[in-house]
Amino acid sequence: MNGASPTSFDTWLSARADGEAGAGLDWLEAQRRSALDQVREQGVPGTKQEAWRYTSLKRLIEQGFARVEDEVTALQLQDIEELLIPGLDSHRVVMVNGRYTPSLSALGDLPRGVRVTGLRALLASDPDALRERLNGVTGESQPLFAALNMAGLDDGLVVLLDRGATLERPIELIHLSVGMDEPRVAQPRHLVSLADGAQATLIERYVSLGESLYCTNSVLELSLGRDAVLKHDRIQVESLNAFHITGLYLSQGAGSRYVGVNIGLGAAWARTDLVARFSGEHAECDLQGLYLAGDRQLMDYHIDVNHALPSCSSRETFKGILYGKGRAVFDGRVVVAKDAQKTDAAMSNKNLMLSENAEIDTKPQLEINADDVKCSHGTTVGQIEPEKLFYLRSRGISAPFARRMLCLGFAEEIIDALHSDALREAVSEEVGRRLETAPLT
Amino acid sequence: MLSVKGLRANVGENEILTGLDLEVGPGEIHAIMGPNGSGKSTFSHVLSGREGYEVTAGSVTFEGQDLLALEPEERAHLGVFLAFQYPVELPGVNNTYFLKAALNSIRKARGESELDAVSFLRLIKEKLKILHLNDSLLKRAVNAGFSGGEKKRNEIFQMALLEPKLAILDETDSGLDIDALRVVADGVNALRSPERSMIVVTHYQRLLDYIEPDRVHVLAKGRIIRSGGKELALELEEKGYGWILEQEQAA
Repeated sequence: MNGASPTSFDTWLSARADGEAGAGLDWLEAQRRSALDQVREQGVPGTKQEAWRYTSLKRLIEQGFARVEDEVTALQLQDIEELLIPGLDSHRVVMVNGRYTPSLSALGDLPRGVRVTGLRALLASDPDALRERLNGVTGESQPLFAALNMAGLDDGLVVLLDRGATLERPIELIHLSVGMDEPRVAQPRHLVSLADGAQATLIERYVSLGESLYCTNSVLELSLGRDAVLKHDRIQVESLNAFHITGLYLSQGAGSRYVGVNIGLGAAWARTDLVARFSGEHAECDLQGLYLAGDRQLMDYHIDVNHALPSCSSRETFKGILYGKGRAVFDGRVVVAKDAQKTDAAMSNKNLMLSENAEIDTKPQLEINADDVKCSHGTTVGQIEPEKLFYLRSRGISAPFARRMLCLGFAEEIIDALHSDALREAVSEEVGRRLETAPLT
Repeated sequence: MLSVKGLRANVGENEILTGLDLEVGPGEIHAIMGPNGSGKSTFSHVLSGREGYEVTAGSVTFEGQDLLALEPEERAHLGVFLAFQYPVELPGVNNTYFLKAALNSIRKARGESELDAVSFLRLIKEKLKILHLNDSLLKRAVNAGFSGGEKKRNEIFQMALLEPKLAILDETDSGLDIDALRVVADGVNALRSPERSMIVVTHYQRLLDYIEPDRVHVLAKGRIIRSGGKELALELEEKGYGWILEQEQAA
């Protein structure tokens, strides 16, 4: 490594002017310290480490992001109106630069047995509700960016559903980034916990006002009890100058079902880690994703599903559209333990390359140690087929429009998996808009 | 309306069309028949502007315009339509969306206003009625998982909607059983009009039992070697292509 490069995340962890969340809670202080130790111990991983083989952290470190210091208080509802999705009826939670903002949120009436609140507020009012849950899914020992997030813990969304509780409308988290005078990092940590038989839909949207430079390092800890069902849509449309990091940690009880649809369109540099574990049999985990990467964009996905118990199923279905000088990484790993018989796992990564200068590194891996399982994986990298293009053009459709239709057709499978019509429409439009200006060389 | 003069075209090093002449007037139906490898599909593709063919000589004029100078979509805007021998499957592209995009692209290019959703659906229903089709094809992805008959019907449906001035039916009968053939032929006949010319490219005479041509041409080795009325098709059916090729060689 170049000796002149900055090599640490110290700036990420400077003190907050308005005080630390949960100050004075000994158990929390201990977890923060432990996380900080882990950050220092791990240092900055280089590309020799497998998890960072295709993705250099150099650009991220060089920005020297400083921790968000103050709350953004000037925003009013009318400022964020353009960010709302028409026709999407939700319990809305708005966070600005990592901080829960009740004045912009519209929680509405929540059914019995459902608690939706900010992490910071809950640490002040009922810290015991969080004691077992913070680091409950990640474990205390965690990967670098999850540890960084813990060390800089400030706020996040907390959703707690009691046994059998059901949410009819989705919870919609809008994480809004607003540019500051210097590049800042926000590190929200979201906890979603569904007790046995509970059911909910969660929509997460990462958006920005303006195309400023900032960093979001979010962590989600999702815990599903026996037979719980969580439908989860994530739409990342950060500023094209931003850095976005997500670590999603999922723990699934027996018979539970998780369907996660990840749409990645924004950010200059985006890294997503999806980590799933099963704590009971007959659980189903369905991870889907669609990413677009154009000039000066990197989309990096790491999937880590561990089948330690028998009779669970997992699906990993990711599709990418790359154009200009866009880059993407798909590193999927599914491990089936020796005793995990009757595992059903299928991983697929398909990529559509619109230009010769785009680049994809795709590496789906299955490690199977049991003998009675159904597992498959496949990956494709292709271009738009000329005969399809000709078919559309022969019907009077211009070449650029025809290309866009074919790209949307390719993406349709994933967009269709989103859990609301309003969201499907909004994402489809946004994908179309980005492709409209996509350079083909 | 369409005037093809001395058309020569290559695929790679091979010359497939070797000097093809054809005149099609308004409202006329011309059948082009010929054995496999005679250049039938190449001719359809060159007319519609598919890539992979190099025109080395001759001209194609459509309503006074040099067709060969135009992009495929521009030819469609002028009113040229190709019903594909093998319609392409477009998974993920909804058929209704596709039809609307096609129709509105053509309308826009002609300086007409785009149809809104309501007017479009009204038009679709009207066309379905003319062709005696139900709307099950509309909700699916374009041709994806369609049977051979469904694909061909979808082609004819597109033709009904886009109302071309010149329709080229490229071996529309291939792969169809007799019932499907009849449905497709009925559709084509319903679209016959004094303003619409058609070129029906086929290997077999049987399609012409249902779609009655004004003229029949025999294509061999890349050019038209014999033209006649519909009785020429019956003669070919009876004697095969052999006799005509022999006559040609003798001459």
